[in-house]
Amino acid sequence: MPDMRFAPPNPIRIADRAAGLNAVSVRSYNERLVLSMLLQHGSTTRFDIGEKTGLSAQTVSVIVRSLEQEGLVTRGEAQRGRMGPPTIPMGLNPEGAYSLGVSIGFRTTEIVLIDFVGNIIDSATLRHDTPGADHVHPDLQSTLDGVLGKLAKARRRRVAGVGLALPEGFGDTTELAAFRTWVETELGLELFVQNDVTAAANGESLFGVARELDNYLLFYIGAKVHSRLVLNHQIHRSGISTAHDFGLLHFERALGANGVSTEDLWRLAQGSANYAQAVQGWQADCVAFLASKVREARQFVDVNTVVLSTYAPRDLCQGLCDALMVKEEGLTALVGALQHAPKAIGAASLPYASRFTVGA
Amino acid sequence: MRTVLCFGDSNTHGQIPGKGPLDRFGRDARWPGVMAAALGPRWYIIEEGLSGRTTVRDDPIEGKHKNGRRYLTPCLQSHAPIDVVILMLGTNDLKRRYFQTAPEVAMGIGCLIYDIKELSPGPGGHVPEILVVAPPPMLDDLHEWSGVFEGAPETSHKLALEFEIQADSKEVHFFDAATVCACDPADGFHLSAEAHHALGLALASEVLAMGWPAA
Repeated sequence: MPDMRFAPPNPIRIADRAAGLNAVSVRSYNERLVLSMLLQHGSTTRFDIGEKTGLSAQTVSVIVRSLEQEGLVTRGEAQRGRMGPPTIPMGLNPEGAYSLGVSIGFRTTEIVLIDFVGNIIDSATLRHDTPGADHVHPDLQSTLDGVLGKLAKARRRRVAGVGLALPEGFGDTTELAAFRTWVETELGLELFVQNDVTAAANGESLFGVARELDNYLLFYIGAKVHSRLVLNHQIHRSGISTAHDFGLLHFERALGANGVSTEDLWRLAQGSANYAQAVQGWQADCVAFLASKVREARQFVDVNTVVLSTYAPRDLCQGLCDALMVKEEGLTALVGALQHAPKAIGAASLPYASRFTVGA
Repeated sequence: MRTVLCFGDSNTHGQIPGKGPLDRFGRDARWPGVMAAALGPRWYIIEEGLSGRTTVRDDPIEGKHKNGRRYLTPCLQSHAPIDVVILMLGTNDLKRRYFQTAPEVAMGIGCLIYDIKELSPGPGGHVPEILVVAPPPMLDDLHEWSGVFEGAPETSHKLALEFEIQADSKEVHFFDAATVCACDPADGFHLSAEAHHALGLALASEVLAMGWPAA
C-alpha cells in the first residue's frame, strides 16, 4: 500500500481545461460559490472572495486559477488605494460563456443571445399569426440557428445552454417536446425550462438592478401583473394563481384603444390631455394594487425594495415607482434594468444560474 | 510586518548566467530584492537560494546539503512566523545523476508542501500561504553543462503543468515563471537581470493577490 500522502495527484481539473466549459459534474460547490459571488458583485478581489465565502486564500487561489484557465474569469489591473498594498480585482470574462433565452408569450416569441455578463449579442422577435397560448412558432428552430450563427465557431463551445421561459399553464404539447429534442440532439445543448415571471426575476437577480439585493419583491407588469418574492436570492411564488388584472392590458383598455401597442399609447398620452387623464387613472389603480401587495408581504418578511420588471416604456414604469414610493414609506422601488424582453433575458440567465451558481 | 521566505536554487541566489557560483547579482537586482522594493517596507523578504538545491534529493557529488527537504524544516523554524513561503525549485532535479521524470520532480515539490503544512510555521501556528513557482524551461544549448543535464531541457518544458497539478491537488498558490521571463542563452538555465526584474514584480503581485487584510 503506497503512502497516499505522496501518491500521484488526480489531474482531472487541469486535464479538462482545454476543451471549453467543464462538465457540470466537475464543477465543485466551492467553484459555484466563487462564480455566484462574481455574478452577483461583478468585480471583486480574491481577498473579498475569501472573506465572503469563508474559503482559505489558497483554496480561492486554486479555484480562481482554474476558472481563469477555463476563460470564465479574468484578472483586472492592480488598483492602488490610498492606503495599503494595491488590490487586483477579479471579474467574469464577458466572453467566457454564452446563453440562449427563449420566452414564449401570447402574441410573440422573444429570442436573445447573451454573453456571460448579460450583454445582448443578438435578438429576434417572432410574431404569432394568431395570438394564443401554447404557441411553438414554426420558425423557432431556424431563428435560433440564425441567432447562434452570430457566434464564431470557436465560441459555440462556450454556450452554457438554452433557457426557455413559459407562461403559467403552458401545455405539454408535442411541438414543445419536439423542440426540446431538437435542442438536445441537434444543438447538443441542455434545455432549462422555467416559468416566465420567475425567469424574469432570475434575470434581474443576475444581470439587473437586483444584483446586489438579497431580498426584494418583483412585480412583472405585462398584460397582467405577476409577483414574486425573492428571499436570500431564492425566488418564491405563491401557490395560488398570481396574475392580476392591473397590467398593460388594463392600461390599453383604459385608453380605449384595442390592438394599439403600449408604446404607441404612451406616445399618444404625452400629447393629449384626454389620454393623460386616462393614464393617471390607470396608474392610480395599478399603484394602489401594488401597494396593497407590498403591505401584505411586509406583514411577514422584511423587504424594503421592489423591482418593477416590464417591457413597457421606462418613463411609464418610473412613474409607477415614484408613486409607489410616495405611498409606501421606507420603500425603494426600482425600474428593472432588463428593458428589452425581460423574460427572454431571464430565460437566458437560467443556464448560468443552474450551472454556475449555488442553490439555483 | 509580513514575512516572505524565498526558498530556491541558484536562480533565487542570483547567480549570473554564464559565470560561476561566486558571481552573484546585487541584492536589489535579484528577484527577492525586486519583490521587496515592490512590496514596500511593511514586508520582510528572506532570501534562501542555494546553488544546486534539489527538491528532495541528496546530491552524490555536491553533497547532502543540496537536498531541499533536509534544510527546509530548520530553515522554516528559524524564520517563523512566516506569512508566505515561495518555492522555486526543480531545475537541479533534472540533472542526469537523478534521472527523474517531470511528475517525479513535481512530487518532490509535493513533499515540501507537505512538510510546510505539517510544521505550520505561519502566524499562530497556522499554515502559511505557499506559492509554488515553476522555473522557466531550460534552453536547448546548455554549453558545458549539457552533459550534466542530458535530456533535461525536454523534461523542463513539462514541469509547469506537473507543478500546477501538485499545487491544485494540495490547494496552494501557483505561478508559472515562463509567463514573464525566460532563461538566458549565456548558459541556458540561469536568469538575466531583466528576467529577475520581471519575475520579482510578477511574484510581488502574486503575493498581494493572495489578499491581505489592511494591517
